[in-house]
Amino acid sequence: MFSSARSFLLLAPLLLFMILFVGQGLYRAFSESLHAGDNFLENYEQLFTQGTFWSSLQISVYVAFVSTLLSLIIGLWITRTLFRLFRTDQWKLAAWFPMLIPHFVAAYIIVLFFSPSGWFSAVLESLPLAGTFPVLVNDPLYLGVIITYIWKEVPFVVLMLLPVYQEIDWRMEEVGRSLGAKGFTLFRTVEWPWAGPVTAEVFLILFVFILGAFEVPALLGVTYPAMVPVLAFEWFYQGGWSNRPLAQAMMIVLTFFSVLLSFCLLYAVQRSRRKWMKGGKSNA
Amino acid sequence: MRKKWTKILLSSLLFFLFIFPVLFLFFKSITFGWNWPDILPHTLNLRAWTVIFNDPLIYRSLFTTVFIGVVVVILNYLIALPAAYALSHGNPRGKTLIETILLLPILVPVLAIAMGLHLVMIRLGIADNTAGVILIHLLPTLPYAVRVLKAGFDRISPDWVKQSRTIGTSQAAAFFIVLLPMMLPSIRSAGILVFVISLSQYVLTAIIGGGQVTTLPLLYYPFFNSANEAVVAGFSVLFAALPILFLILMESSIYLYKQWLHRL
Repeated sequence: MFSSARSFLLLAPLLLFMILFVGQGLYRAFSESLHAGDNFLENYEQLFTQGTFWSSLQISVYVAFVSTLLSLIIGLWITRTLFRLFRTDQWKLAAWFPMLIPHFVAAYIIVLFFSPSGWFSAVLESLPLAGTFPVLVNDPLYLGVIITYIWKEVPFVVLMLLPVYQEIDWRMEEVGRSLGAKGFTLFRTVEWPWAGPVTAEVFLILFVFILGAFEVPALLGVTYPAMVPVLAFEWFYQGGWSNRPLAQAMMIVLTFFSVLLSFCLLYAVQRSRRKWMKGGKSNA
Repeated sequence: MRKKWTKILLSSLLFFLFIFPVLFLFFKSITFGWNWPDILPHTLNLRAWTVIFNDPLIYRSLFTTVFIGVVVVILNYLIALPAAYALSHGNPRGKTLIETILLLPILVPVLAIAMGLHLVMIRLGIADNTAGVILIHLLPTLPYAVRVLKAGFDRISPDWVKQSRTIGTSQAAAFFIVLLPMMLPSIRSAGILVFVISLSQYVLTAIIGGGQVTTLPLLYYPFFNSANEAVVAGFSVLFAALPILFLILMESSIYLYKQWLHRL
């Protein structure tokens, strides 16, 4: 341990970057989203009365939520089943390989396999079964986007959960078993107190990331409804920059939404952790 | 017994889900005219790779991309290493607040920040050029670098540095001879993570680079819907190959560093 002053000296470049880039960027985005005239919230009013915005927000929240939830469930399942195997490096490499692949390349992999002229469609065609391959790419339900995100994010979930699972005291499981717990109760009382907070954190990271990401929906989405970042990018350059304030306002709304969610989730995790430390009724 | 089979089944599933698709991409790139409804290709052909390597634009942007990626990694080390060290072994006032602030670029859409910075960066003359793109790539990379490096420092006891200080090594020497060798695994993972994130940026580069800085992703997007699937597949393989190239670069510098350590 060393002094607070020296710590700040070491932290200075990072904090400076945060203020100059993150702080300033958010501040400027907010001030540019305000209207110069009497009613400074005019851009927001205009935004909220637009159907385009609401359908974009809807599709964005839906895609982010479904992708995150499925990635977490699959990732948790893989971690639970294989964490003892993952002690050796070659297994880790197999599961983490997709992390080396950029999102837009993952999107292309999905196109190669799932598009109407893709490989799965060809395989289905060669089988004697009747039936046409469903449209999964550039579809209004954003299934291609969701599949891409699951393929990319499951390894991330495993990466984050693995250290937790390798540190759980598994003697607790035996205790639970001898006390007559089984199945879900065992999971809830032995694993969840450790895995829960990390799961919540990963949920937050993935949900916010997918909500604000442009790369995949720009390739595999549809024009209407477009996901919020895609629409914002379009507005940002539209009509000689005249729609810029509207684009900024939309991203500010998304930012506000993300920050609010973060606070709620992190607060809930803190609370449940404190409750769990104290013991008491909650986990009885 | 049943458990063992589940494991074997799951591991092969893992292979088919995560590694096979990338191998498939590679096969696609060395075929010609492998189209629906053929399940297997007729002929193997290096045509797509000839197209890629004869394109001067791809060549140049390959260089730009690797240059930007490497500089972003170096800047990440310069900024994140001291910060992670301070957060792990130091005791700054308001540590929780600082750690929350550091999470901000993860918890806020970076697109909002980049859009807000666009005009300022134009005014400062750092938009539409490589410097601006490098700076904006720090945004999605720094939080992860700090996180990985802090976890690395957390595993090292502060006593190691104290011990070396008591036998009279300078602070700088204590860092390079005692701490850094123990930090190598974390430094390696942080480097590869940052490089891959920088390699994956399209929208930040497009906004701040203003179309003047052509990294590989900026060429990739117009290519995406092209009819020649083999070329797009080859282009995709290039993206998977660059982190490996970076890893080789990284391992050789680590090797040189270790040689230097032995000679001390």
